Amino acid sequence: MLKPKELTKVLEQANTGGFQCTLLLNPEGSLMAFAGKCDKKENITAAVAANIWMSNAKSAKSAFQDEGLQYIVMDCEDGKVAIRRVANLLLCVYTAESVGLGMLRAKVEALARYLEEPLKQIASP
Amino acid sequence: MKKKVLLMGKSGSGKTSMRSIIFANYIARDTRRLGATIDVEHSHVRFLGNLVLNLWDCGGQEIFMENYFTTQRDNVFRNVEVLIYVFDVESREVEKDMHYYQSCLEAILQNSPGAKVFCLIHKMDLIPEDQRKMIFDKREAELMKRSLPLECTCFKTSIWDETLYKASAWSNIVHLLIPNVHQLESSLSNFATILDADEVLLFERATFLVIAHSVKRPHTDIHRFEKISNIVKQFKLSCSKLQAQFQSMEVRNSCFAAFIDFFTPNTYVMVIMSDPTIPSAATLVNIRNARKHFEKIERLESGLPVPTTAPRI
Repeated sequence: MLKPKELTKVLEQANTGGFQCTLLLNPEGSLMAFAGKCDKKENITAAVAANIWMSNAKSAKSAFQDEGLQYIVMDCEDGKVAIRRVANLLLCVYTAESVGLGMLRAKVEALARYLEEPLKQIASP
Repeated sequence: MKKKVLLMGKSGSGKTSMRSIIFANYIARDTRRLGATIDVEHSHVRFLGNLVLNLWDCGGQEIFMENYFTTQRDNVFRNVEVLIYVFDVESREVEKDMHYYQSCLEAILQNSPGAKVFCLIHKMDLIPEDQRKMIFDKREAELMKRSLPLECTCFKTSIWDETLYKASAWSNIVHLLIPNVHQLESSLSNFATILDADEVLLFERATFLVIAHSVKRPHTDIHRFEKISNIVKQFKLSCSKLQAQFQSMEVRNSCFAAFIDFFTPNTYVMVIMSDPTIPSAATLVNIRNARKHFEKIERLESGLPVPTTAPRI
């Protein structure tokens, strides 16, 4: 079972040092949990993130052959975005432009590792 | 598991109407088509999977009534789990009703002393709003007195004002018939805590009667369950007209979200969340994951073998 408030607290911990928002969404693009300042656009962000992931995952399948898509990191005009798969969900983080790509990747990796095991259990069989 | 339920009362008091609305998905208007019940109509209602309510709808005309108390006495009153006696609130022959009621209790006491007795004061919609409580209280006190040594529980009912009275009486009756209901309730309360829900309800699938509920934050409207049952039942009816099956619904506004979802093979669950920051998908995942646990409880109830895998809760 998923305790929504606890999950939000875990996600909230990532929001330091220029990290603005952390979202957890399912591959269909529905939001599971989020933390941070999203200006009430969290649903749209989730949908866009899932869409980007899905379209890239398809081409990644043919490009990488054996390995699926692991990461998407985007360096945009106003900030940086990272999307990563955790269990059968997606973790999406976006930050201010000042944050380095290495830091972004490290943090997402740490958060994903922490969430992987518990989220696997709630994933559908 | 079969439970025999006797439905008795004077002719025209509304036994068959009530039965049809609750168990055969009639709407109130349809009951005008019903004729008088001849002798006893048996119906088997599958409720919660393998709990079968064996409803004996006993026609209330005097000639039949006399019969039940004499020639058919053993047959009718044997192995009764529940007696539901329906009184017409507008009846002019109160003394006579009481006489039949007491003969009935006498027969019950002889043949199935463990039976639970419910009295429904029916057609309450015919009484002006401001007098309903007074009249009901008076009747209830009298019935209690006359029922001794048996205990009876009274309800006011009406098929027209159904949002107010109908479902609550039957929910209470059915609640008593479900074995294991405490385990169901404690699991439900646990579930509500994990979800941070305000309220969780469990509805029986076919009748949409509330079988268990857990309230974490009190609500002011005590009739809300019946109202919801009624709304969803109507909605299910319109679904079936389109040959679609009702699966789930979600209602959300700025202050709350309500989910009604298919749960176990015999139940629907309703979850009320008042925290708008919790996304729907999280709640839906939780509902999906809780299914296994509740299915297991249901199987325990029905005595079917339980698979050994641990529930994810």
